[in-house]
Amino acid sequence: MGDKGVTKTQRKKLSPVIIAIYVLLVVLAVIYIAPLLWMLSVSLKDNAEVMSAPFSLPKAMQFANYAEAWTLGKLGKALVNSVLVCGVTLIVSMFFGAMAAFAIGRMRWKLSEGMHTFFLIGMMVPVHCILIPLFVRFAKLGLTNSRFGLMLPYITFSLPMTIFLLTGFFRSMPGELFEAAAIDGCGIYRCFFKIALPLCRTGFFVSGLMTFVNNWNELLLAMVFISDPEKKTLPVTLTYFVGPYATNYVQMFAAIIIAIAPTVIVYCMFSNQIVEGLTTGAVKG
Amino acid sequence: MSKKKWISAALSMAMVTGMLSGAAVTVRADEAEEITWMFWDDLEATEDLITKGYKEVIDRYNTEYEGKYHVTPITTNLEEYDGKLNALIAAGQTPDCFICNPGPNMDVYVNAGSAADLTDILTNQEADWYGTFTDGIFERMTYDGKIMAVPTNFAAACVYYNTEIFEEVGVEVPATYDELLEVCKKIQEAGYAPISCSAGTAWCLSMVAGYLCDRQGVDLGAIASHEANWTDENCIAAGEKLKELSQYFQETAAGDSNDQATANFYNGEAAMLVQGSWAIAQINGNNPDFEGKCGVFQFPGIDGANDPNRMIVKTDNLMMSSTTEHQDAVIALMKTFTDETAQKYTAEVGGKFPIIKNIEIDYDAAPAQLKYVQDIMANATGTFGFYNESLASVEAGDCFDNAMVDIFLGNQTPEEAFQTVQTFYEENVWE
Amino acid sequence: MDKILRDKKAIFVFTAPAFLMFVVILVIPIFQMVYYSFCDYAALTPPEFIGLANYKKLLFKDATFRIALKNSIFFMIFSAVSQQIIGLVLAVLLTNIPKGRNVFKNIYYLPCVLSSAALGLLWAFMFNPKIGINQLLAKIGIKGPMWLMESKGFIVLPMWVIAFVALWQYVGQNMMLYMAQITGISRDIYEAAYIDGASKPKAFRYITMPLVKPMIVTSLSLNCIGSLKFFDLVYNMTQGGPNHRTEVLATELYAEGFNYFKYGYASAISVVLLILCLIVTLLVKKVIKVETYES
Repeated sequence: MGDKGVTKTQRKKLSPVIIAIYVLLVVLAVIYIAPLLWMLSVSLKDNAEVMSAPFSLPKAMQFANYAEAWTLGKLGKALVNSVLVCGVTLIVSMFFGAMAAFAIGRMRWKLSEGMHTFFLIGMMVPVHCILIPLFVRFAKLGLTNSRFGLMLPYITFSLPMTIFLLTGFFRSMPGELFEAAAIDGCGIYRCFFKIALPLCRTGFFVSGLMTFVNNWNELLLAMVFISDPEKKTLPVTLTYFVGPYATNYVQMFAAIIIAIAPTVIVYCMFSNQIVEGLTTGAVKG
Repeated sequence: MSKKKWISAALSMAMVTGMLSGAAVTVRADEAEEITWMFWDDLEATEDLITKGYKEVIDRYNTEYEGKYHVTPITTNLEEYDGKLNALIAAGQTPDCFICNPGPNMDVYVNAGSAADLTDILTNQEADWYGTFTDGIFERMTYDGKIMAVPTNFAAACVYYNTEIFEEVGVEVPATYDELLEVCKKIQEAGYAPISCSAGTAWCLSMVAGYLCDRQGVDLGAIASHEANWTDENCIAAGEKLKELSQYFQETAAGDSNDQATANFYNGEAAMLVQGSWAIAQINGNNPDFEGKCGVFQFPGIDGANDPNRMIVKTDNLMMSSTTEHQDAVIALMKTFTDETAQKYTAEVGGKFPIIKNIEIDYDAAPAQLKYVQDIMANATGTFGFYNESLASVEAGDCFDNAMVDIFLGNQTPEEAFQTVQTFYEENVWE
Repeated sequence: MDKILRDKKAIFVFTAPAFLMFVVILVIPIFQMVYYSFCDYAALTPPEFIGLANYKKLLFKDATFRIALKNSIFFMIFSAVSQQIIGLVLAVLLTNIPKGRNVFKNIYYLPCVLSSAALGLLWAFMFNPKIGINQLLAKIGIKGPMWLMESKGFIVLPMWVIAFVALWQYVGQNMMLYMAQITGISRDIYEAAYIDGASKPKAFRYITMPLVKPMIVTSLSLNCIGSLKFFDLVYNMTQGGPNHRTEVLATELYAEGFNYFKYGYASAISVVLLILCLIVTLLVKKVIKVETYES
């Protein structure tokens, strides 16, 4: 029932059905946007005002809430940690994933299909299942309470999706490209770095986006692995506001705003590309 | 080409060796002995006056021993404290010194060998220090004659009440349970929540349950040795009274956390709060105006039942890691926590009781509530611990707490709830 | 060319890093987890083999685990049904409006990329009886329920609330998947159908549905596994309360493993979770495949 069947004359006068649809969609959009705006408004009030008039606009802008949330919640450090952990995870998992995907998708060997399935099964395993053995092992190795220790499972759990997507991209590349390169005397590594990788930019964008969104928001592993406040990532820092500050709503909301602001800003700037990229990833996955 | 191969090989090798060796190298800036101390509140962010006092102790220690010892606090919130501490211990990174509740909680660390035996240090090497402590204070920290922890303060659980609301409604401090019900009823009619309680943080509700059980004459010693049962009449009666009393809890009691419940009280929404004296620091810290209108009375007795003058008390305790390489630094820290300056602060600002003798406390400087609690303590005929800290294990304590919350929520009758605890004991404790 | 692509050494170099990480971080721990699940293992003491005792306790004695299992399964079914249907409806609606498709699409998708830890906190306060939705309801004279604190009923009210918040957050994902599929359907097919006199609902039933079906497998398995391992929203909205009534498998596992440090017991829960995930994935694949052949 694609709208492409609708002719131009029909488009001019809006049928009641279309109007009804619009009303519904607008109401829904309000349900999506209103809580976020409400949070913004609460974060600019003081605590007494939140209790007395939670839904009115703030009387006086309490920007100090943000400053306090920033220092108390150690959000600056958390932001740095999140960027560091997610950034390294992204680069390493892309690189390792691309190598494996290239071997699976482009090279000829007996076990390539088996290897593909092996990685795919990883997508079905919830990270919770390895939480305890991994924690025990890492504790012995001194990798708990370390950002490096957190990156390892993040990378591992990003690999299946990355490999799966990139394998598809490598397979869809025309074989002649590589043949031409081989005739020119290119070795396999040169083929990989000089031809396959640069041609796979969309693939990297799509799988990188998924990897980044997943790890940026990951809570459970980070909560279990990191207890040092200096090394906490953003989502873990937020759970901190559940406890001691449970009665200090304004700072908690300010902290949430700070935490989600980078994502929202990036999303607003590139929403079309991001939504498209993530969907491509999910469709293929 | 082979360069590329080497790069990728080297990268994967680096990952693997990193995984196996876990290169966690700590670089020390100076020569001072570095120790860690783990605590259940954030020293920087808190409004709690006891925590602020602890921060002062830490700062004082770091200044006093500058260049010799240095302590870094590891802080978390109360709810996550045990989990995070266990995680560090399991990882072999036990903090050199950590705070701990008495009872099964402490048992865990003693039994696992995570805590150092302090007997020799206290009774021989530092006998002078040992002599400053209140007599009998080490009783709950002694296992087979070995002293395993050092207390920093103790608190008693009482009922705090809003004198303004009491006056407005025209009620007096209740002495018996029946009077308490009357008072609650009148306060509720006047439009206030009579009692603020937290069932979201189960031990808060369980404290009320513990008092009711004790007032009904439940004997935990007899239960532990199976001379009495959880299904006995006095337990069930306590459960029924809990059910009865809980209709006077604030509307959001089922989900409120400890902090939220306390906030209801100092914000003037609820008339009474059953809490340990640590709440004094929290109340006065968050709402300094409240001190003048905050009264205290002991938990009412039940006519014809047990002694009404028994009090729930609890110490905060410091334990030393059995694996620490800096015993002297830890002992120095413990001494700073228990010296006169710290203990005076504990009482006069924090509103908890000091654990050392011969200390002059200026009760005029102390929070008003502390004096009331002190007066109540003077008449106390006996003390007992928190129920969840006095049962057979951490799990048993949780089982009791959850059963009590279920009574409150109405998901189980008192009979059913105590049967659950009874079954737990039959399966796990009495064997 | 062929020789280059069969270079064994290169294949090894390319796959080794990912393979090694996978084995060390994922495969070995899974076997360890299965072993631990047969052990009495309390973190501070070494594991001790006790056979099936953990499973016996888990399945026959542990009331909280039963609640967690019930809640997880409820959550999975609710999410699967509601998110698929509403996702599909939204996709169809959006593909049928002349203008503003992208704006709506991006708005509905926004929560998918946000941290559910943050959104959980937001909604917890929306449903706080003192400040949120109940204040709005009070203005029109309705006394709202204690959203996150009710503890009565087979599926408690807080669980429904959490399920609706999850629907709010993740329905955009399904909507996008279906939109991608629908806009991929060639317009010629529709035009041909309309010329043949097919109505819009008919076109939907006989063209859109069958072509969208393969997408259902992907979207449904993602949905089901995602909801079985659900953790963040529950943890930040109720922490499993009141009195463990909203515990799900993941929070229960976390509590047993990292609050009580019963590693053996928590491993048994992990095994149950893993088995459930595998069963559900296979089931989804099987059921949908059969249907596709029929139509």
